[in-house]
Amino acid sequence: MLTAELAAELKAMFPEIQVEEQDVHPLGNGGKVAVYPQSEEAISKIVKYAHQNGKKIAIIGGGTKRGFGGLVECADILLSLANYSGIVEHAVADMVVTVKSGTPFQQLQDYLAEYNQKVALDPAWPQYATVGGVIAANESGPKRLGYGSARDSVIGLRTVYPDGTVIRSGGKVVKNVAGYDMNKLFIGSMGTLGILSEVTIKLRPLPKYESLVLLSFQTGDIDSIRSFAVQFLDSMMEPVCLELLNPSLAERLVGQRAYTLAIGFEDVESAVHYQEEFVQRIQPPNTTIAIFSPQEARSFWNTFYQIGPNGANMKEDGNTVVEAVVKIGVVNLDVLHILRESELLQDVCHVNIEAHGGLAHGLCQVYIKGAAESVTAAIEQLRATAVQRKGYAIVKHLPLSLRRTIDVWGGKPSYFFLLEGIKTKIDPNRILNDQRFVGGI
Amino acid sequence: MRGKGIHTNDPHIQALARIVGGEKSILYKKEDLLAYDCDGFTVHRHLPKAVVFPKNTEEVAAIVKYCHEHDLPFLARGAGTGLSGGAIPLNGEVIISLVRMKRLISVDLENRRAVVEPGFVNLKLTNSISDRGYYYAPDPSSQYCCTIGGNVAENAGGAHCLKYGVTTNHILGLEVVLPNGEIVEIGENGIPDPPGYDLLGLLTGSEGTLGIVTKITVRILKNPEAKQTVLAYFDRVADASQAVSDIISAGMVPAALEMMDQTAIEAVEAAAFPVGHPKDIEALLLIEVDGISAGIAEQIEAILHICRQRNVREVKVAQNEQERARWWANRKTGFGAMGAISPDYLVQDGVIPRSKLPEVLQQIQQISQKYGLRIANIFHAGDGNLHPLVLFDAEKPGETEKALAAGSECLQACAAVGGSITGEHGVGIEKKEEMRFIFNDEEIIAQTNIRDVFNPKNLLNAGKLFPTPGRCVEVKKG
Repeated sequence: MLTAELAAELKAMFPEIQVEEQDVHPLGNGGKVAVYPQSEEAISKIVKYAHQNGKKIAIIGGGTKRGFGGLVECADILLSLANYSGIVEHAVADMVVTVKSGTPFQQLQDYLAEYNQKVALDPAWPQYATVGGVIAANESGPKRLGYGSARDSVIGLRTVYPDGTVIRSGGKVVKNVAGYDMNKLFIGSMGTLGILSEVTIKLRPLPKYESLVLLSFQTGDIDSIRSFAVQFLDSMMEPVCLELLNPSLAERLVGQRAYTLAIGFEDVESAVHYQEEFVQRIQPPNTTIAIFSPQEARSFWNTFYQIGPNGANMKEDGNTVVEAVVKIGVVNLDVLHILRESELLQDVCHVNIEAHGGLAHGLCQVYIKGAAESVTAAIEQLRATAVQRKGYAIVKHLPLSLRRTIDVWGGKPSYFFLLEGIKTKIDPNRILNDQRFVGGI
Repeated sequence: MRGKGIHTNDPHIQALARIVGGEKSILYKKEDLLAYDCDGFTVHRHLPKAVVFPKNTEEVAAIVKYCHEHDLPFLARGAGTGLSGGAIPLNGEVIISLVRMKRLISVDLENRRAVVEPGFVNLKLTNSISDRGYYYAPDPSSQYCCTIGGNVAENAGGAHCLKYGVTTNHILGLEVVLPNGEIVEIGENGIPDPPGYDLLGLLTGSEGTLGIVTKITVRILKNPEAKQTVLAYFDRVADASQAVSDIISAGMVPAALEMMDQTAIEAVEAAAFPVGHPKDIEALLLIEVDGISAGIAEQIEAILHICRQRNVREVKVAQNEQERARWWANRKTGFGAMGAISPDYLVQDGVIPRSKLPEVLQQIQQISQKYGLRIANIFHAGDGNLHPLVLFDAEKPGETEKALAAGSECLQACAAVGGSITGEHGVGIEKKEEMRFIFNDEEIIAQTNIRDVFNPKNLLNAGKLFPTPGRCVEVKKG
């Protein structure tokens, strides 16, 4: 069916839903026609239409993660949740909120801040990223150490299944083991099992006080960073993050070209100062310390969450410089090796690399810039290093043309048949986000 | 060929005995099987076909493969402390007991993880690492004997999960024997977010219906620097409930926030670990705050202030570790303490939004009056996880049925305010029909569809977790 015909048919069938023809996008994951449902019912109707007419749907929220996975340039329908936003219910005393999936993450945080509450997640590009997108892609940031990830915060979902049925999972209470924990299936499923409609999240109080200690290691000696981290982690301090920045990232963020540990504390004021003092007491030689006040810390983080490429801002500009983001998971302290390796790769592969990783949660983000072949070479090398340490590397951002040349998910796990079995059971016709996820599911 | 020392002609028993290495690792005589006809949920009983005691993953896989090939129903069992009947062999299952797989395989303090076999007892993990200042957070009341494998199956909680989360928040990796005998490893090396759907999250709490866990990588935590425990006595349960709400609203996240009502207090004071609680109060709160020492005093002060504002009769801070331990022993043995005031009891596990506490406690009171059965309440108030304990006498004709009906009605009350039918004990046999209080048919089918991916022959722990499909049709047949 031609694009114009499809658009005309959708407009005729769903006069209440905004329908637009689309151009192709360098990141792919688009559709010939974009639709903007404003209700769960409308989402369900469109999915039913696709189900009955053999159409494929790509799902988009704010578009920040448009370059994350996916081998399809253009599905039939691009279902945008941009107009499906807002708070459904906020039980203030229960510290639980239910939001529509298209709600921008920062908008939700700003609303909750008035009640001294927050969603305990710190994803990239919070002004653009939607709650649904953050959950579907399982986005997390450095403060995951203190507060966990999406799987620890999400307590309930309403999901539109590939046949248009709405399936509820979990609930609105913070503790619940009734039936299978189906929420977990959808978190991080990249929209391949259903369209998240409403997300129910357990909240945390805003910290009474916060600060950020930046400990810069002037010599670049990885072993001394390691011994500090081991000593610090063996103490009873309770950092919300212990994130190591590589020298180029530290230079961009705080103007010092040195490996820098970002140690965050969020607690009552006396407890925060006590912990700052503890770090000062065990400060290793050849390091410098800076302590950021609450305002400075917040401003640091605001910049930090915008260091990577934003899929929503990407334009085809004939620029030959390619940007990639790689998420690497290794055993906690092996983050040190990944960061050192990425530092070395800059010269080997002729690329620019900024990187950070959590020494107590084992996840790194590596931002690579350079010519296409150099970037893919660097990705392959990083992946080899991660795999050698029994970890993994996932490419979170890359133009479509390159995603077709490199397996962004790093192959299939040994239990792939279970993943495929789940996909086939729920979405046998592969209607939703076809080929977006591991092993082409 | 007969298994060594095996006195039966049943070829399946002989074959299973050969897999596990002979008579010492299998039970099959009726008198031996009686101990396995139920778990912590004693209302239903059924004899297993046999109980086998494998020593390692390969033996588990071989047993499962044999059962799969011969269409023998089977299930896994840990310590048998489950409260919802998840380990009851409804279909005459072969029980695969994991109690001999009880090794602590490795501890890696620097990377804060440990690897255990499924039969390893929960509290032993903390005891093995406490000298170096570390612990394993999930702490179900049965932690002195329940196994971590069982905790994974049930997604067990505990008193301290208000701040630290339940089992699923602490599982980093699993080795699993699938229902066809295949061994898979998910979350190798305990690295978070392995690419693919979150099977760790799905398997945890699947009540032994998707696979049998044979190796578990868990997260371990550093002990908090300081800990303070408060005990508060309230004349009115409404004041206690309001204090709970106020504490949370003040932006505090206590490590634990427990409540007991008057009937529960009567029981714990009559049992093995009395503390000397006054018997004429309507409710007590046990509140624990932990974290950085410099911040504790301030939080305790705030909690004391809130309790006083809510008309507390008496409130005190534990003066030492002994006192704190006494208070906790009194609380953690609370269920068993019911034996001191009632021949039998049935424990429920509903969850409600915290703010609905006064309303639901009121309704439970009405249910108690309606059935003429006393109901004690011991529960995790901080996260709204209620444990109504219905007291009854099984010797009296019809009273067991009355107790079950009263328990079910308590769950209905929880569901009606937007809550859940179980917070940590699981659905098992006990609450499978109550699943309909919170899920419609399509949502239940969505779940059984997932079961079919893992367990297509449904030989593994069948008849649990989900309501009987098409019940009306079956009733007609009968």
